[in-house]
Parts: sequence; structure tokens; C-alpha cells
Amino acid sequence: MNTVKLYLRSMQMLMKSQLQYPVSFLMQTLAQLVMEGGEFMAVLLIVDRFDHLNQWTPGNLYFFFGMMSVTFYLTEIFGRGITGNFPSLVRTGQLDTLLLRPRGIVTQVLCSAVDPRRVACVAVGVAALILGSRQSAVQWTTGKALAMAEAILFGVLLILGLFLIEAIFCIHSVKSIELVNAITYGGRSACQYPVDIFPRPLRLLFTIAAPFALTLHVPSAYILGKPLYGWPAWTAFVSPAAGGVLFLMLYLLFARAMRYYRSTGS
Amino acid sequence: MMKAYLSAFRMRWKMELQYRGAVVGGFVCQVFFGLILVSLYRALYAGKPQSLPIESVTTYVWLQQAFFRMILSSDPDLANRIRTGDIAYDLCRPLQLYGYYYARILAQKLLGSLLRAAPMLVFAACLPRGWGLVLPASLPALAVALLGLVLGLLCVCTLENITVGITMRTLDPRGVQAMLNLLMTTLSGNILPLTLFPDSWQKAITLLPYAQLLDAPIRLYSGQYALAQAPRALLVQAVWTVILLGLGLLLWQKNQKRLIVQGG
Amino acid sequence: MPYIAVDQLSKTFTVRKKREKGRLTREKTAVHALQGVSFSVEQGELVGYIGPNGAGKSTTVKILSGILTPDGGSALVGGRVPWQNRKEHVRRIGVVFGQRSQLWWDVPVIDSFSLLKDIYRVPTEAYQKRLAELTEALDLAPFLRTPLRLLSLGQRMRAELAGSLLHSPELLFLDEPTIGLDAVSKLALRDFLKYENEKNGTTILLTTHDMEDIAALCRRVMVLGHGKKLYDGDLPELLSRYDTQRVITLRYDGGAALPPLPDGCQVSREGADYKIAYSPQALPTARLLTLLQSAGSIRELTAQPENIDHLIAAMYREMGL
Repeated sequence: MNTVKLYLRSMQMLMKSQLQYPVSFLMQTLAQLVMEGGEFMAVLLIVDRFDHLNQWTPGNLYFFFGMMSVTFYLTEIFGRGITGNFPSLVRTGQLDTLLLRPRGIVTQVLCSAVDPRRVACVAVGVAALILGSRQSAVQWTTGKALAMAEAILFGVLLILGLFLIEAIFCIHSVKSIELVNAITYGGRSACQYPVDIFPRPLRLLFTIAAPFALTLHVPSAYILGKPLYGWPAWTAFVSPAAGGVLFLMLYLLFARAMRYYRSTGS
Repeated sequence: MMKAYLSAFRMRWKMELQYRGAVVGGFVCQVFFGLILVSLYRALYAGKPQSLPIESVTTYVWLQQAFFRMILSSDPDLANRIRTGDIAYDLCRPLQLYGYYYARILAQKLLGSLLRAAPMLVFAACLPRGWGLVLPASLPALAVALLGLVLGLLCVCTLENITVGITMRTLDPRGVQAMLNLLMTTLSGNILPLTLFPDSWQKAITLLPYAQLLDAPIRLYSGQYALAQAPRALLVQAVWTVILLGLGLLLWQKNQKRLIVQGG
Repeated sequence: MPYIAVDQLSKTFTVRKKREKGRLTREKTAVHALQGVSFSVEQGELVGYIGPNGAGKSTTVKILSGILTPDGGSALVGGRVPWQNRKEHVRRIGVVFGQRSQLWWDVPVIDSFSLLKDIYRVPTEAYQKRLAELTEALDLAPFLRTPLRLLSLGQRMRAELAGSLLHSPELLFLDEPTIGLDAVSKLALRDFLKYENEKNGTTILLTTHDMEDIAALCRRVMVLGHGKKLYDGDLPELLSRYDTQRVITLRYDGGAALPPLPDGCQVSREGADYKIAYSPQALPTARLLTLLQSAGSIRELTAQPENIDHLIAAMYREMGL
């Protein structure tokens, strides 16, 4: 059985076990809906007061928000093992158990958790995307759909990669959750708006170090018909790969860190 | 009796001091969030300037960031006790529990925010005009703002105690907690300054308890509440604090009674 | 060539102490978990591995199962270096931690098993056969479809054991497998381990504080203390070395007095009862009894059974642990 199949089977089983507590599950999903709804409301309120942001119309802003929301929370649903579960895997010694099995560690960590509650947040994101694409009068083409799929796929990898930083710190038992939060959750908060509104240092940060701009904004702007910085259309299909590159780099660092992993207990 | 509260307070205080690493990490994180928000509002202002000067908005953002820990701070120990149901044992202690937890929460919020606010305010004051923190409207304004901050702190602890009281009653507190946290961050002006909410909403929102925590002191600081309005603002804060204190006490008493009836 | 060959294995952890007041740097202390431990185990052996808490037992197990990399020395398990090529190695071993679960908490046991089958890539036919065997031997049938969280501790341990044996490992590490189990479950578990060892030739390394497990299962035992191997050999021989004191309580008809006893016997009296502590090596029990009988007719006599925990405690004391 290959890795993808194993992952899918694990997800299926974990979903099943979460649904053993249906009331609690529903309550929490509802809470997520309200929470992400609140985030979106902030954008609506901003639009209410300011009408537009540089060249970006309200519809454009909803679209950017939706792209980030869908990407970030898809990552949280399917990558929960990395985005939330890793510190407790180390603390409880569960990571040892994973090391005793003949599979890759990242695979197994990914197989260890799922967070279906976040589907509510994804729903808010999808609503924002639909609203945004309508108001921006986007003419959908195969190319644009492709650019969007690619952006979301690499965006998920990018976010997973950023959360791997936390895992790496965790292996070296450095307590740094708040520091890593700055780049993960901070990146999400910042890059739900197009990157060109930020001053140069922040722009560079989100283009090079945590390339949300390359992965999400360039294709989004292409879809909206207002290419970021006037870049040619083909960049929208190439630049998202930056997310994949970042993931790969951090994956290698993570593998290196695992060699220094020192399990807890005597 | 008083001694028990004091020792609860002192214990939390010591625990907070231990997490110096988290203080540094939190500082960097909060500065980062602050810079992002300030950049965003500056870009928005560039497109459509408002009657409210940008300096007021950036000051609002930095004060919110500096006292973030006062609004949202997690006490992992307490959360854990609620989740595992161990808090039931606490309810059996011969102690006015409301006061015990109030002292604990107060200590955490006070020290948690003091440790973070001081470096943050220094940092924000060093930023260029239109980016950072401006001085208070006047010295008396600073004085009433500080008074308002103390009232806000007392008020947020009563709110938190109600949250704890409610979560104790539900089997799975995470959902309720998430909702209450959302209300807290949105309506206290942390996500978006209340001063940027639609003007018609502001009249109602500023009367809600959430606006008493940081929004009122910030408005006093920057002079959006003039000195003449200060007594009214402080009174609203005080009234809410008393009301919430009463509600919280009632809720905890009921919880305690219920537990005795059920026999744990 | 032995199945497990460990030579001069050592591992040191650096533990950072809490920062003291007025100092900028934190002090570090080195903890020598293992200091030059060597041993070898043949295929199919069932070896007990004992020692007080913190002796380095778990560290050894973690190194041999590939979780930890040693600082010095070498180890070969079935010709493989455990910490190199981890996946290849762990495919062939099984590990049970008594206090840690490897099955999924909220799902039926059988679902956990079938996921483990996928993880270890066990062919379906082999899996079916093995599952049937384990179900039979561990009596799993009554709760295979029950979620793990609803099982009793004894049932859970049986399920855990089956889970770590599904892929038919050549080597099984057991870390405190009987902790917290009731007497019946313990006996059943021991019977199963014997069966697995004899029937399938699985090499078993058993770490435990329960000396009765060791006595029931292992002929060979290794004692570890402060990161060093202190004993390696026959269990009965080890015990006889520390079997230095026995106690007999007796009462005579008509309250006769004790005969004079050789030096080295300690006598105390409670009412009509005499309590005699003696060393069986210096004074064989048969001779003592003959002596005692010569003084009068014995109405009651109890000999305190040799308690293995006491022996081990005496041994740890003598070894300075």
C-alpha cells in the first residue's frame, strides 16, 4: 500500500473517531464558522469605511481574503498533525511510537491528526471567493481555474512548511510557539490583503522568506485581471512553486533535526 | 480568607516570571502584528483619509497590541482543570472560589501585560510619526486613562470569571470558549479598532462591556473622550464591573450548589 | 554470530538546569545513561532486563530499536545497525511500552490492526493468518470490534501486544508489560509470551520491575545499574547469592525453650512464639529443623517464603544502587 492510500485510510479512520462525539463536533464546527465569519466581517467593515485599498476594489479584497482562508484552513484540516499536533506528539512520547514504524516521519505525523471542524472556515473562504469573483466580474477560463488550483496546492505546502519550523524548534526543545506564530498566523493575517499595500521590508518578507505573495497573490491578481506589479501572465503559473520550494527546504531541515531528536524519559 | 487570595495571586505571579522566553517571543510576535496592522491602515488612509487622524489609529493599534495579554491570555493550567473536570475538586475547597480564581486571573493578566506592554510601548514610541504611538492628549488625560485601564483590568477579570463559570457547566468547553474569545477580540477592538467601526454602530458598541476593557482607556488617552466626558466613561466602566461581578458570583454559587446536589 | 551483539555502548544526555539567579548562562550537567554496556543475545532467547529506575534500561531499548543514536560503542541486531536505516530495522521488530499506547483510542481494535497492516505492508494472507493466531492465543475475539477506550486495562494490553506482533517481528521489546494488571491477566500474558517465544522463536527482551514476571519467564537475566551492566547470567544463581536470610516462626507444645543455636542466628520472642532469622548458606534449613525438633515437640511452624522483591532490594543495596 502506498503512502497516499495510507494517508487517506488514516484520515478516514480519524474522521470516524471524531464523529463519535457528534454534539461536541457540531458545536465546535459552529464556533469555527462564527470565528471565521468574524474575520470576514472585519474586511466588510473596512470596505464600508474605506471603499477600496489602493487599486483593489472591495470584490478584489474579498477574493484575496477567500484565497487565504481556503488555503490556510485546508492546511489545518489535512495537515493538523503538523499545524497543531506536533508539540503534543513530542511531549507525550507518541513520536517514539511513530519512530518504531517503518514509514517516514512526516507521513506518519500527517496521518496522526485531522481537523474537520475547519471545514466551516473553508466554507466562509469559499463564500468570500464567490462574492469576490462575482463583484470583480471575473471571466473564468481553464487557465484561471488552473492557476487557482495550483495556488491553493502550493499554498498548502507553503503553510505546512512554515509550521515545520515550529516542529523543528520543538525537536530541539526550544520553546518558541509565539515566535513561530508571528510568521504563520501573522502571515495569514497580513496576506489576506494583497502584498503591494505593505512597505518594502514586509513585502520582501512575504515574497522571499514566507512567499505568500508568490504563491497566492500573483495568481490571484492574474485571475482578477490586474497582474501584480504588472508581471506577465505566465508568472502566475510559475511563481506559486515558491511554496513548494520552501516546503522542500524545511522538510530537509526537519529530517536533519530528527537525527538530533532525543526522546523524553529515561 | 484574604490570605488565600493573596497566595493564589503570588503563585501565578511567580509562574508568569518564569516564562521569560515566552515574553520575548510574545513581544516579537505582537510587534509584527502591530506593524502589519499599521501598514494596512496607512494604505487604507492613503486612499481615503478620514476625520480621525491616522496617528490616533496607530496609537490605538499599538496600545491594543501592548495590552493584548490583558484581553486574551490562556491559563493552560486552568483550561486543563476545566477540560479534565478536575475543577470539581476546587469547588469542594473551603474557600470562596470566585475570589480565588479572580485573584489568579488578575495576577496573570496584570503581570502578563505589564511585562509585555513596557517594551512594546517604548518600541512604538520610537517609531516615526504616523507609524507609532503618540503622546497622550494631556497629562490629565493620561491620568484618567490610567484610571480607566485599572477599571478595565478589574472588568476583564470579571468577564473571564464568567467565561470560566460557563465553561465549567458544559461538557466540552472548547466551542463556548472559542465563541466568547471571538466576542472578546472583535468587540474590544483588537481585530479592528472600534473607532473604525461604522459610526452608527459605535454608539451601541461602546456601551457593551467589551468596550470597557481597552477601548475606553485608549479613547481617554488619545482625547477622543474629552476630559469633560471622562467621568461618564469611567462610570460606565465601573457599573459594568459591578454588574459582571454580581453575575459571576451568582453563577459560581449556582455551580457550587449544583455540584453539591449531584454529589460530584 | 549472536542475534544481538552490543559492544561498549554508551550514551550521555546533557540536561540543562534551571537558570540560577544572577547568572546569565544555565548550567549543564551530563547524565551518563549508559557507560560501556556489552552483551549478546542469541536468536530465540527470552532475556530479562532489570534495574532500578534511571538505570539505563529504556535507553538501551531505545537505542536497540533505533530511536536513539548512541555516543559510543556498537550494536548489531540481526546484522543491522538499528539507528542507521531505521525503516528497514523497525519493520522486523516489535515494541510494547506498558504505559504508552500505539493503537487508536476512539476506533475499534480491528480497525487499528488493519491500519497497522497497511503501515507495515503485511500481505493480506499473512495478516489473516497471523490475526487468527493472535486472536486465538490472546483471546481477543470478544472485543475486536470495541473501541480501545472502552476496554479494560487487561484487554487493552492484550490488544497492544497483538498490535505489535501482527507483522511477525523477529525481536520483541517489552517495557513493563504487566504494569497495573490483575493476577489473572498477568498469568495469561506470561503464558502467551512463553507461547510466542517457543512457537515462533521470537527473541524477547523483557524490561520490568515485576520480579515474578522475570522468574516465571526468563532463565537469563541482566542487571543494569547507573548505566553499567552488573550481572548477566542465570536467574536462580543470582537469587541464591542474595538469598542470605530466612525467617522461621515456631511454637512448642507446653512452652518448651529453644535449644542453643549456632552463631549467626537471631532469635526474638513474642509470647510463646519464637522468631528465628538465619542464613541458609551457613546453616542449612534441614540442620536447623533437626536442632529445633530436639528441644521438644513443635506445635506450629511457619517459614516465610523467599520473597523475590526482597532479594532484589538486597542486591540493589549491595551493588550500591
